[in-house]
Amino acid sequence: MLAMAAEAKLSHTAAMILQAISAGYVYGFSIMEMTGLPSGTVYPAMRRLERDDLIRSQWERQSIADAEQRPPRKYYKLTADGRATLEASRKRYPLLDRLISTEEASSR
Amino acid sequence: MKSPSEVAFSVLQRGLLSGAALLVPSCDRDEWRREWLAELWHVRRSCISIDETFSLDSQREITGFCLGEFPDALCVRNLSDRTSAPPAHMHGSAAQTLLWLFVILLLCLLVTSLLPGVQAENEAARFQIDRNVLLISEAAASRTKPSIPADLYRGWKKTPQRFFDNLAFYRVRRETADSGSARICWNVARATANLFPTLGLPLTHTAETGSDLSSIVLSHEAWMRSFGGDPRIAGRILRIGNASVRIAGVAPAGAWQLPGSPDVWLLEPDAQIATEVSAKTPGYLFAQLSARGQAARTSPGITISARDPENIDIDLSGTPLTEPVEGPWNLYEFALFLAFIALPAVSSVSLGETHLTSHRPSFKQSLRRFLFLGAKFALIAGIALFASFDLAYWYTPNYSPVAECVQLISCFLVCLTGFRWALADQRHRCPVCLRRVTNPATVGLASRTFLGWNGTEMICMGGHTLLHVPALPTSWFSDQRWLYLDSSWQFLFADTGIY
Repeated sequence: MLAMAAEAKLSHTAAMILQAISAGYVYGFSIMEMTGLPSGTVYPAMRRLERDDLIRSQWERQSIADAEQRPPRKYYKLTADGRATLEASRKRYPLLDRLISTEEASSR
Repeated sequence: MKSPSEVAFSVLQRGLLSGAALLVPSCDRDEWRREWLAELWHVRRSCISIDETFSLDSQREITGFCLGEFPDALCVRNLSDRTSAPPAHMHGSAAQTLLWLFVILLLCLLVTSLLPGVQAENEAARFQIDRNVLLISEAAASRTKPSIPADLYRGWKKTPQRFFDNLAFYRVRRETADSGSARICWNVARATANLFPTLGLPLTHTAETGSDLSSIVLSHEAWMRSFGGDPRIAGRILRIGNASVRIAGVAPAGAWQLPGSPDVWLLEPDAQIATEVSAKTPGYLFAQLSARGQAARTSPGITISARDPENIDIDLSGTPLTEPVEGPWNLYEFALFLAFIALPAVSSVSLGETHLTSHRPSFKQSLRRFLFLGAKFALIAGIALFASFDLAYWYTPNYSPVAECVQLISCFLVCLTGFRWALADQRHRCPVCLRRVTNPATVGLASRTFLGWNGTEMICMGGHTLLHVPALPTSWFSDQRWLYLDSSWQFLFADTGIY
């Protein structure tokens, strides 16, 4: 029910972002690079997706960031609703898979 | 070592981040900033070449990335606004009502502090003309017109008086004064130097004397009108007619009762009055009763049989100048008293305490309810005080009996309507959470009900109570009644703890 409601509202941009996260691009900047969308579009879209419980954010552990001498990042992953919505969006936007293929990302 | 251009871009990017962070609600700001700083670090690392040479394209790309902070900050702000507690949470709460009343009180107080008329009224009540000072006038003449010839004053002054200690005299003439920057037409009262000590009025805003120039005393009204109430006016030199004069001070607002409406009093020594004023020039004569005079006086006014300088019998009358000035506080107390007396005539003082169930609010809830009512009354009383000052002295910077009357009436009306509103408001407040009951629903129709109930039902949005207000008070349902809802209702209401 929720997924159907979300599907009806999901724009192509939001579907692309969901697809990118599903493909393993789990940081804002990596999603930007993959989708070619500007930062002013990607980050607000991710806030809305998170509000709708389609994605969930989590801070990277400090120890990992310290080991690599960089600041910790916030990464995103799909929720169950997000996965269902993405499935429905793939039917609506058949080219999504071609734009960002999951296999490509998994090989990264 | 970074190049100046690189430093400039870095500062610009940090500035953009800080600026955008201001748009984010403070509760989310730290995390938002942390995320963007981390992302910025990675963007820089990705865009800047390994040898770290400056590249305008790279910096432009990073700055473009930073510009995305603004839409994101606005988005976070919008989402935060929607997810935060709805404004309805506070709507109609006791705290909100008291806050509004307090704001109105502060506004009225602010306006009052800017109105000089209020201080003038205080001064008029504080400094009043000595009640033993009589204005001597011809019995047949109006006391507001000058009727005593200067020669009579001189004659009385020369002869020892049994019933009077001091005599003071002035006559009023229209003269032009030159303050250096403007020419002003004033009613100038040429008065004996002992006028103000005789009247018992101390001067305000005085300056040290010691000059050879004649002194003038400004009336409170002229001081406000011509000098804008400048407190450092004393000592300034003006020209009145052909003579230079020095401002010695300002007469207190209580001097408004002196006849002739003088704007200034030019204080002259007796010798000058004896030589320069013609014998028949009419003026105002003031006499201060001696102890014997006070003992002999049987009524406020007296009649005097005297002889004029031409040895003709004349009848004079002496009337006290003191007209009671109540002062702002006495008027306020009186208006408050009247409002409390009149309140039961315009509103029911019942708070609708009838209950449909056996449930009764706890002592703490009842106490809080009455404290809230008391706080409303206190704030309304304060508003009435300052609002009445504002209404009375909005147009006049001086004390006047008309302003006093406006103050009394407006204070009474504000108190009465305010108290009436406070009671009506209290009757529609849930006894548990003190929030106003809402969502009125009409139940039944009077034309279709026989011995049944019809009226309006309102509910507390906290889910505590239901209020029944009868449309037609009957012998079995005359007052509104509260129905206390038990905990089984709570799940229907989001706001349960509203105060």
